Amino acid sequence: MLELRNVTKSFNLTGAKEDLRVALDHINLQIESGEFVTIIGGNGSGKSTTMNILTGVLKPDSGQVLLNNVDVTNMNEHQRAAYFGHVFQDPMMGTSGDMSVLENLEIAYRRGRKHSPFLWGFKKSHKEEFIRELKRFDLGLEDRLNQKVGVMSGGQRQALTLLMATMRNKPTHKTVKKDYITFSEKDHDVARKEFESVYKPALTEFKKKKHEIRNNKSLSYKEKRNAIAEAYEEFDKKVRQFDLTKQILLLDEHTAALDPKTANKVLELTDKIVKENQMTTLMITHNMRDAIKYGNRLIMFHTGHIIFDVSGEEKAKLTVEDLLKKFDEADKKAVEM
Amino acid sequence: MDFLNVIFNILTSALPCCLLAIGVFLTFRLLNFADMTAEGSFLLGAALTAACIYNGLNAFLATILGMCVGVLCGILTGVLNRVLKIPKLLSGIITLTASASIALLIMGITKPGDLFATQIPLASSLAKGSKIQTIYSTFYPWNEFNRLVEVIVMAAIVLIVIVGVYYFFGTEYGMAIRATGMNEKMASSQGINTTVATIACIAISNGLIALAGALYVQDALSVSTVSATGYLVIGLSSILIGEAIFGKRSFKNWLISVALGAVLYFTIITVAIKLGLKTEFKSLLYAVLITIALCIPLMKQGFKSLFKKKEREDNHARA
Repeated sequence: MLELRNVTKSFNLTGAKEDLRVALDHINLQIESGEFVTIIGGNGSGKSTTMNILTGVLKPDSGQVLLNNVDVTNMNEHQRAAYFGHVFQDPMMGTSGDMSVLENLEIAYRRGRKHSPFLWGFKKSHKEEFIRELKRFDLGLEDRLNQKVGVMSGGQRQALTLLMATMRNKPTHKTVKKDYITFSEKDHDVARKEFESVYKPALTEFKKKKHEIRNNKSLSYKEKRNAIAEAYEEFDKKVRQFDLTKQILLLDEHTAALDPKTANKVLELTDKIVKENQMTTLMITHNMRDAIKYGNRLIMFHTGHIIFDVSGEEKAKLTVEDLLKKFDEADKKAVEM
Repeated sequence: MDFLNVIFNILTSALPCCLLAIGVFLTFRLLNFADMTAEGSFLLGAALTAACIYNGLNAFLATILGMCVGVLCGILTGVLNRVLKIPKLLSGIITLTASASIALLIMGITKPGDLFATQIPLASSLAKGSKIQTIYSTFYPWNEFNRLVEVIVMAAIVLIVIVGVYYFFGTEYGMAIRATGMNEKMASSQGINTTVATIACIAISNGLIALAGALYVQDALSVSTVSATGYLVIGLSSILIGEAIFGKRSFKNWLISVALGAVLYFTIITVAIKLGLKTEFKSLLYAVLITIALCIPLMKQGFKSLFKKKEREDNHARA
């Protein structure tokens, strides 16, 4: 669950009074996990600022950001990165142009994890996984792993960024434990005991199995390896049930710079990925038809306030005309004030 | 014999500059950071190594100490830029300015009674019969014909550094550093602490530059505040020449290009001087070389489009 509590953000605080611009004015927002929220609003209404405050690019002047009820307001962007995938409006922004597709994906694979200065950064098993993932995109990227991203089209780059932002980067067991203890709603000690009551027997069981397989002389080396991998997967599955931190996907007008056909394709892809992984998603868009078509909740921003928030069936019934009317109303109100 | 001598001369001055060029390359190309510290860390590395050797310290230890002082310079520049938010160029200049005084202080060690000195003449103390050793002479006793040993030792060190740098920038953290340099926003959103990554890269870069200084001083056997200047330009031009001629298709290719660029650079300079160019014109030659190196990509493009045009015309004629 993601929450903004009473968040205020102004720009040019130190400058002249006329330059002061309030981007967000005491915003309260709660997003349940699994929700796909579309955000609309005029330029300068605070949509992008909200997103930047969520990821930690910007720090709010006052108020709190909570992730699974834990205050993350003072965490830096790179410390929160494990939980957020960010796709920017500019296709150049989300990938590193001078590096190959493979290198970009390897970096994304380790998002929010420690980077070892000794271990070689490429792995064969990763490469196979990347190819599998890229094939689903159907853009021919799987044959161009060693090509520099800089020479690709905006649509391809944006699709790659999307993959990088949504790639399931499996946290280590240690991280799973840490996250479960800090982010579960239970008491810390209770959570730790609960985790260990499953983890420890599973680990001993896995070790026992491994020992048995190793000493089984009737198996060949390859069979042994496969059997051990299977046993590990079983053990891994047991640990993963504690994996609380479902990734949150933030899309900041990610199709705005693409031509209509490519934009549609990228949007379809986004929808597919989000549905498959049941990701919590926030999508900023200027296209009201898209805002209505995708997602199960819609939020409208206006001059730093949330003026409209619908979800479920009510949202499904919305039309573009309704939204335009809302915009007009908000504008009138602002003039009257 | 004269020909061999020329080759040894080229190699002994070029090989340390391979390290210099790689060091400058790491900040200039990977981080997009025009790092003025290079000049200072080269001088400091040379000065500290020479001072240590002068006082009878083991040559390997002295070289490593020289490298460490470069790393410290790099960390200082990195902290000035990333933590105190001083612009890139200025933070390099600040460290460079500070290092000039520190170098005088370090060189002062060799002059009892004086706090500062402007040079360390290892060669003259050697002539007086002092038994100091450089890393080259530890492999082979002092002799007029030890140039070959020198070249081999230098080449071995350069090779180790190239392989090491290639490996490091292919590791998980090395890739994170490269991503930081190319697209900081992306790196940060991918969970990389860009501050630490930048400082680490500047530190490694300056460590290599100081190592180049240490190797240089053990070959030249003297260092002064005057002789150890102008090396940033040499590093930059090596990068430009290497890139223009040997290409930058992949990271491996790029790294080797830069190292070869340094060798090519010194070959051109030495040959020009051998052909009778007055040393006073050296700076002018530098300028011309850099200009040509910068124009090579354009010239290549010009040739290509010329050929393509011809091809097109041919195709047209055939059709």
